[in-house]
Amino acid sequence: MSGRGGRGGGRGRGGPMVNGRRAVAQNSVPWATDAEILLDGKPSELFPPYDVPRPPPLTRKEDKLVSYFLLFREQCQDGPLYTQARSRLSQPSPSAAAAGPSSSSSAASSLAPGARAYGQDQINQRYGLVSKATLDAFTAVPTYSQRFTRAPRALPDLASRPFAKEFFPPELHATLDGDDDDAAAGGRPGKRRRLAGAGAKTLGLSSITSYKTAEELFFRDGLAPDQPPRQGGRAKAADGELDKALQLMSTLEKRGEGDDDAGFLSGEDDEDWVRGGHGGDDDEDGAAAADEDDQYEDESGDDYNAEAYFDGNQDDDDFDDGGDDGGDYF
Amino acid sequence: MLVTKPLAELCALLIDELHGELPSRIFAMLLTKGRSTVPQLAQYTSMTPRQIRHGLAVLHQHNLLYYHVDASSDLAFYEANPENAYNLIRTGKILEMVETSFGAPAKDVVQSLLLSGQTRISDLVAAYKEKIDHATKEAAANGEEADWAAETNGINGDAPSTNKAGPVVKSTAHLNSILCRLVEAELIEVVHSTTFESPQDVQKIVEKEVMDKFFPAGVKGNKAKIEFQEKMAEGLRKVRAESKSLKRKLEQQGSGIKRRKLMENLAMAVTNGNHEEDLDPVLDPRQVIRINYEKCLVDLRNRRLVQFATDMYGETTAYVYGVLLKLLTKDLPRCRQDPLADVSEDKHDAEKPFLVTTDLILDNLKTSVDLSLGIGKAERRQVSRSVAERVEPYPPARRTFLDEAEVEGEASADEDEEDDESSEGSEEDEEDYKPVANGEANGVNGTNGARVKFAGAGGAAKEPRRLDRPTQLRQHLLLLCESTQHFVRHCGPDEWTVDFPALLRSLRETELDTVIERKCGRQGLRLARILRSKGKLEEKALPNVALMRKPELQQKMLEMQSAGFVWVQEVPRDLKADVKKSFFLWFCDVERSLGQMLANSYTTMVHCMQVLEALRYKERDVLETTKRTDVRGREKDAMRKEYYERYSRYLDCERKLFAQMMRLDDLVSVLRDF
Repeated sequence: MSGRGGRGGGRGRGGPMVNGRRAVAQNSVPWATDAEILLDGKPSELFPPYDVPRPPPLTRKEDKLVSYFLLFREQCQDGPLYTQARSRLSQPSPSAAAAGPSSSSSAASSLAPGARAYGQDQINQRYGLVSKATLDAFTAVPTYSQRFTRAPRALPDLASRPFAKEFFPPELHATLDGDDDDAAAGGRPGKRRRLAGAGAKTLGLSSITSYKTAEELFFRDGLAPDQPPRQGGRAKAADGELDKALQLMSTLEKRGEGDDDAGFLSGEDDEDWVRGGHGGDDDEDGAAAADEDDQYEDESGDDYNAEAYFDGNQDDDDFDDGGDDGGDYF
Repeated sequence: MLVTKPLAELCALLIDELHGELPSRIFAMLLTKGRSTVPQLAQYTSMTPRQIRHGLAVLHQHNLLYYHVDASSDLAFYEANPENAYNLIRTGKILEMVETSFGAPAKDVVQSLLLSGQTRISDLVAAYKEKIDHATKEAAANGEEADWAAETNGINGDAPSTNKAGPVVKSTAHLNSILCRLVEAELIEVVHSTTFESPQDVQKIVEKEVMDKFFPAGVKGNKAKIEFQEKMAEGLRKVRAESKSLKRKLEQQGSGIKRRKLMENLAMAVTNGNHEEDLDPVLDPRQVIRINYEKCLVDLRNRRLVQFATDMYGETTAYVYGVLLKLLTKDLPRCRQDPLADVSEDKHDAEKPFLVTTDLILDNLKTSVDLSLGIGKAERRQVSRSVAERVEPYPPARRTFLDEAEVEGEASADEDEEDDESSEGSEEDEEDYKPVANGEANGVNGTNGARVKFAGAGGAAKEPRRLDRPTQLRQHLLLLCESTQHFVRHCGPDEWTVDFPALLRSLRETELDTVIERKCGRQGLRLARILRSKGKLEEKALPNVALMRKPELQQKMLEMQSAGFVWVQEVPRDLKADVKKSFFLWFCDVERSLGQMLANSYTTMVHCMQVLEALRYKERDVLETTKRTDVRGREKDAMRKEYYERYSRYLDCERKLFAQMMRLDDLVSVLRDF
């Protein structure tokens, strides 16, 4: 940083001309007295070599701290209150990476990536741009591997867990129950809502017990095969697991086409976050969220026949066929 | 807390990282616009009120908001809580701290609490109950599929696997006992009706109460003003004490310390440790609890100070210091005193003195620690016992940085030697403890004569004089006492206390010195110290004092000026303010440098987050793949090799960036919070 500017070359070069000589006092410059001096007339370097300071490697304790933090982050992002970043397009952001293929595409946005925003309006314009109009035609075609992408959640799943309501301002109470309806969202008469207080809700504890570092990634997470399957969209704990995926598929098959537009692997997650008497008939929050924005997560639609893929595959212990299939759509 | 732009940005980014985009946007808006209502927020962010309400609920659940409901209009005004938002980056540290001092189960509980925000005890218990039930069921199932389970467990060896080892928290009674311990340590506090009023609102409420109750005619005269202040402080303390209601109840139900001792005895006797749980009273399940960051910070500060002592003296002394700090800060609720609430706290101090006795420390030391290490020895005649053991009943008067430096820096011309005391110590060993020979250095270091000196290897090698344990302990404490950093004050015969403000000032100064040295080299550090001890120095006088050549010196000073460690003041000699005739005074303002360092740290942390985002954008196709449920968990098998390599490189970078942020947070805590 401070390496530059010490050279001071060209001193006195700009003085006024007097009798064809520069008005520099005699003997005030080095070369006036020293005939053999070698002047360095080169311009100073634009980017002088700079020794980039490197932080020391992590100590064991720091490693532990970071692991704890990352594990905590994983658990947070797995929880029901996490809203996945999904709509920021103009910046390199986690949203672009994390959101599904539909949102990472370059939307018809006037803002170039990283463009400077002037005023709050322009900042706001960066968000919420994911709609049917902004789909990327190249990735929006339903593919097999999209079965395994997480459906980004736009609104937190508040209805699924208990709150200490007396400490919330009264205007939020309805929201906490999950029946916060706007005029905008209330357009659907047939919408099924969770009933407030239907059955006791239980706080879910995260089942993620270890954060995987790069070395451990290929290890399988320690979850028993008989664990009730969690929704593919949210659970991360052991999602990649063979048995898990198989089980998901079989449940899916059982459910048939019963699911509406809420994304395909839904319906099971309530087992995990809520234990109540309202297992099957509640609406997906993702779908609820999709109401007010243009629906950005239901591109899977009904025109995609899942069973064609799953038939005959459910008993197959080795899932690699499916994996390879998916591999093509990276 | 003063929220600067980088800090606001950092808070928003942290929330984005942990809780998602929606809360983060709202939080950023609350920070920029101040307290707002839902319709206002909706207008600012161009989101629907429904989205805003959801986001606010999440923020509030995670204790990131203050709100105030106006009695007349029923509208709630929301305000951001930047302290808690910043504290998110400390999650890893807090978890680690809890694990080392309370064990893995406590860490699990704290993690759940952090994860779910404010939680009713009954909900927490129910959640754990379910998890435990689930685990037992699973364990039964695992028995059948032995081979599968064996494989999993073999791999998950170190991780707290839920399969075979069972959950970390074994039963609800166990959970209750953990909660009790955490409540007693004040790491968990109770949420009450005024928790979510912002500090200003609390102050106003209390003020109104006090005015109505005691000063209906208004506050007139000096005497009344003082009385008013005291009443205010009392009121504020009462509000604060509400969050300790659980702890008080626990103490009533059975003296906590007594029970703890009993439990420790039991734990020693019964290896299983199941009995101790029965002794803990069941906590009121209706109470809502959350993590008390203030107390966590106190514990983190203790760790930092022990680290500081390790750097200065060595491990044994630092261990003794750690025990002392732990005992001393057991009832210390926060690092920095609230200027309003703690006005008349001194009275309370008188009732419950803030000190530790030698015997108490001795009782709490582990017997396995060899106290004879780390102390040098001196001949009896070389020790001025009266000076070494002098008692300072009162804390040193608070002085400004400049004054202090002037007083202490008498011998600062060669302060560099002071840094590596080990070498100095061994040097003295060779010289057979002749204090006269290097009296100058000793004057700085030991109060007088080398009574107890850091000995390093040299001292330990000598034939140790047989000393009993209490004496050795005393020597460690005296060693800490006579440090220039004010680690410990000998406040009475065999009574010790710590003056945190003075100690932390010297810690901050040490941090600043480290930064100066890294940025401008030893020369720069030397110049900064000269300026600190001399106050303001004229440009022409500086080369003489510093014994440096003028051009070199000027270059160095300019370098330091642009880095923000020294400043120059121009004093004109006459009205014309001729530049050639003016004085230029160099000076060094520690507070200002520290402020600048703090701002730089925030900016760097924001930068770390931005680099991470850029990385994510760059690797977004890989990350998208890893998010898929069929890939997650078996990335190596499912992904192509180059993809996998890119992914692991990304993970490495992520770790490094977060580690860097945590290091910066160390600095921020020292500068701002401790």
